[in-house]
Amino acid sequence: REALGEDAEPKVAEEEEEQRRTHKQIEESRQRLAKLLFDGTQMVTNIQVAADLRETQRRAEEAELKLQRVEKLENEAKSSTYKFEEITSKWALAKEMTIPQELWQLLNQQQQQCELLLEEKNKLIGDLQQELKNKDEQYVQAIKKQSDDIYLLLERMEEQIRIMLKTYHHKLLQIEKAFELERRELLDNNRKKWEEAIQAHNAQELEYLHARMRKVEEFEKQLNQLRVEDEEEYNSMKIQLENDVQNLERQLQQMKAAYQLNQEKLEYNLQVLKKQDEENTIIRSQQKRKLNRLHSLLNNLRTKLAKQEKQFREENQSLAAYCERITGQCKEVQRRMRHFAVSDAEKFTEVWLMNEEEAKGLMRKALDADRIIHTQQLGLPWEEPRYWFLNNVGPLRHYKAKRMATKLAVEVLTELGSGEGGKENTAKVEDRVTPLRNISKTTVKKILELVSDESGFLIESKLLRPLHALGRHERTLMKLDSIFAALEIDSEDDLYQLVDFFLKYKAQEVAVSQLPKFAKGQGCGQLPGGRWQLGGRRWWKAPCPTCWPSLQSQGSPGGEDVTNLAEDREDGGSSAQRDELKSPRSLLGSLPSVYIHADDVLKILKAFVRDFHKLREKDGSAKEVLQVRDSSKDGEYWEALAHVIPEPTLKLWDALAVALEEYYEVLTRRASLLAEAAVLQQQNSELCLLLEEYVSSGVNSKLLSPPTQWMDLNLSRPGEAQ
Amino acid sequence: YYTHRVIEDPEWSLATVPHLTELCLQHIVHNFEKNPILDRLLPEHQRKVLDRLSTGLPLAVTANLISDEDYWKRCCTERWQVCDISNYGDSWKRMFFERHLENILKCFIPNTTDPKQVLELIPLCKDYVWKLEVDQFLPPVKVDQKEEKDDLSDTGSDFGLGEVSTHHYNLGVLITALPHLEELHLTYGVKDCGMNFEWNLFNFTHQDCCNLAVAVKTCHNLKVFKLTRSKVDDDKTRLLVRNLLDHPSLVELNLSHNLIRDKGARAVGKLINHSRLETLDLCNNQIRHLGAQALAQALAENSTLTSLNLRLNCLEDKGGEAIGHALLTNTTLKSIHLGSNNLSEPTAVLFSQVLAQNTTLTSINFSCNHLGLDGGKQLLEGLKDNKALTEFDLRLAEVGQETEYLIHQIVWANREAARLGALQHPPTKPL
Repeated sequence: REALGEDAEPKVAEEEEEQRRTHKQIEESRQRLAKLLFDGTQMVTNIQVAADLRETQRRAEEAELKLQRVEKLENEAKSSTYKFEEITSKWALAKEMTIPQELWQLLNQQQQQCELLLEEKNKLIGDLQQELKNKDEQYVQAIKKQSDDIYLLLERMEEQIRIMLKTYHHKLLQIEKAFELERRELLDNNRKKWEEAIQAHNAQELEYLHARMRKVEEFEKQLNQLRVEDEEEYNSMKIQLENDVQNLERQLQQMKAAYQLNQEKLEYNLQVLKKQDEENTIIRSQQKRKLNRLHSLLNNLRTKLAKQEKQFREENQSLAAYCERITGQCKEVQRRMRHFAVSDAEKFTEVWLMNEEEAKGLMRKALDADRIIHTQQLGLPWEEPRYWFLNNVGPLRHYKAKRMATKLAVEVLTELGSGEGGKENTAKVEDRVTPLRNISKTTVKKILELVSDESGFLIESKLLRPLHALGRHERTLMKLDSIFAALEIDSEDDLYQLVDFFLKYKAQEVAVSQLPKFAKGQGCGQLPGGRWQLGGRRWWKAPCPTCWPSLQSQGSPGGEDVTNLAEDREDGGSSAQRDELKSPRSLLGSLPSVYIHADDVLKILKAFVRDFHKLREKDGSAKEVLQVRDSSKDGEYWEALAHVIPEPTLKLWDALAVALEEYYEVLTRRASLLAEAAVLQQQNSELCLLLEEYVSSGVNSKLLSPPTQWMDLNLSRPGEAQ
Repeated sequence: YYTHRVIEDPEWSLATVPHLTELCLQHIVHNFEKNPILDRLLPEHQRKVLDRLSTGLPLAVTANLISDEDYWKRCCTERWQVCDISNYGDSWKRMFFERHLENILKCFIPNTTDPKQVLELIPLCKDYVWKLEVDQFLPPVKVDQKEEKDDLSDTGSDFGLGEVSTHHYNLGVLITALPHLEELHLTYGVKDCGMNFEWNLFNFTHQDCCNLAVAVKTCHNLKVFKLTRSKVDDDKTRLLVRNLLDHPSLVELNLSHNLIRDKGARAVGKLINHSRLETLDLCNNQIRHLGAQALAQALAENSTLTSLNLRLNCLEDKGGEAIGHALLTNTTLKSIHLGSNNLSEPTAVLFSQVLAQNTTLTSINFSCNHLGLDGGKQLLEGLKDNKALTEFDLRLAEVGQETEYLIHQIVWANREAARLGALQHPPTKPL
């Protein structure tokens, strides 16, 4: 290839040279042809140019001739007109002529002149015609000349064409020859190159062939070797595989044996199972029979159960009737009890009144003595002490029970409203209210106000209108009055219960908030312990599964029936009530300023009304409780009665007695001892008598701690001193 | 056995029996006039039919049906001896129809020949005629008869009589019906009149001119219009020019060998700037310096005209100078012919200036003028730096052989340079 490339370069140069040669040839031919063409056209067009020149020359001559002719004609016209005028002027002369001869002469003359004129004209015409003829001849000549020219032109053109053809042919041949030569050279060169290339190629091919042969041999050897190796490998592999096959066959046999064994086993199992199945079917039929039997049994039992149920229901009814009877009896007993209580109370009051009268007499006496002492002995002004018990008549309880709830409310409200207006009232109220209930008045007042504000619906519409005219305080009072009337709250206790209720509710809510677990299921109306027991039945009836466990654990330690529990509750209600009422009170005392939301008032009132009626039912027991409780106050009352003379007065008395004694001693010293002694003995006996009388009075013995015991000393001293 | 063969016709062979298709084709060929079937045949059969068709078939059958060139070539060669197809766009059919139509027009005698002859041909040939070259229009027969009668009488007496009735055939109908017509070469005259020559035979009347002008105006595709040797004078020129103003496609106008004077030249000058004329031939008229000045003025403003021929007029130096001045500013004209115009030295002086300035002019012809030796030297002087001029004809211009030779050398060099330039621009190597 490299050799070829090297060869190509000089070849290219040669080719270029060759091309240049042909190019030169073509250029030369082209130039010669162009020259020839130009010359030829020049020659052909020369004719046209010559014709043109001739034409221009002819035109110029023509123009000249024309000018001459025009001039000639003009001259002739002028001369002829002159002559013609001459003739015409003579015609005028002729008219004047009279002599015929002269006229004839003149006419002749005229004729001659006319002839002359005509001759001239004819001559001119002849000249012109001659000229025309000449022109015609010239025209013919020109035509001939032109046809000659055209022939010449054709000849020249043909010649030109011939020459051109010849030269073109010649040049074409030359160019072709040049190309042929060039081509031949090129062909030779290329052939040479080709042969060289072919030889080189053949040599290379041979070389390749040899190499290939060698490689083939080599590969054959390798192949043989590989074949031998592969054969060996194959043999070994075959042996190995055969061994494997044997092993596998053996294993197969073993497996087959195992399979046989297993098959037998399984067949046996199958047999066993079939038998079992049969047995099972038998058992199943047996069971079915049994089941049927049991079914009939069940039906029998059901009928029995129904019967028993009926029986039990009857029993239950009879028991319920019995229970009713018992409750009736109970009520009867209660009524009787109440009756007895009333009679007891009457008795009690009678006794009380009697004793009180007695005590009061004594007291009056003491007071009189005191007064006497003060006025007479000491000369001091004496004021009658005003104690609450002085005006008291009858047992304490009577007084309180009479007090109306409204009055209490009025008291509470007025007391707070007017501040410290009525001291007495305040003292009283404080005395009474505070020891009784630990509830602060402000709380009570708040509650009452709330109630009056929120439960306006309870007030009669007639009342509402005039209410507006009143002041706030009075309005509240009026409202409360009517509300209490609607709620059937008459007594002070009822009012307290109401207040208690509110506070308990509040406390419960607080408790609820403290024990959210408890609050979850119970809702807004939920009440704690005692409160809860009051509304026990109602709450039991309302299904409240979430609170059950807590109830059971609270109210019923044993796993008793629900109904039992409810009864228990009812029974224990009254007894538990006291404790329960107290315990929350103490609890409430610590939370005096509990805020009760206005929205809750209604709910509370509702609950209260529900419970209140139940409370009413148990009025008897409640009253009893109240009286028993009052007896403790009675002691105080009596004690107070006994101590109607206060300690300082007594001390004063003592001091007075001492002074009097001293005075008396002085008197005795100054007077006669006997007279005085007699007087004193007399006095002393008098006093002794008085004392004995006093001590021996029945009333004192009745009292648990008779005031006479220590009053005796006090009385005896002055007595002794006397 | 031998006899048997004789009976069986020994010369019989299957080869002698023509094919059915052959027979059918033959039949088609024979009855082509009545039942022309060509389009539905297979191409090979079409070929056969066309080869066998007679050239004498009526044109009404063949004109629009046959488009095969070979058939029309046969028609042409049978009818005419000389057939130069290159003049007819290399189409035998076009050549046939154009020449056929030209023949009919040449032989048309008004008032005698049936005008249907032409009108019937119009639908047949209208799609194939691009060029009309009519060099003969016969006058009406009456004149002929008169001519015959007055053969011996004075020629002068005929002048007034024939005037009224010498109108030629009106081309208007024909020209407007040919949609492709692009070239129109007309000569109102009679050929080969020989010794029967009459001035009457060559009378291009005003009516003819009017008809022609209107027809040409309606022919919007016309590119080349030649009206030669027809005694067109100033009035007719103006009439023609008026109708040719702003023609959409006219490129070449040839009014050579007529009687145009200065007024006509002025009209043509106006036309130059109101059309797309590129070639204008006014040779062999009677234009003088006034006409030349009008043309020069138009030429100075023009930018379309490339060739102007004023051979055989009488411009003289005044006209020559005017044209020379125009060429100082014109940049489109390539070729100008001022041969045989009675020019002399002043024109040569001005043209030496033109040669020095103008770079577009490639061909000038000053043959048959009287430029004189000094004029020749002036031209040589002006030509020294010119590289554009490739043709410069100074034959019979009295410039002296030496000058002519030198000028020829320069022009030859310019031509070589132009040729090389043309070769270089389209880079095709000559081999």
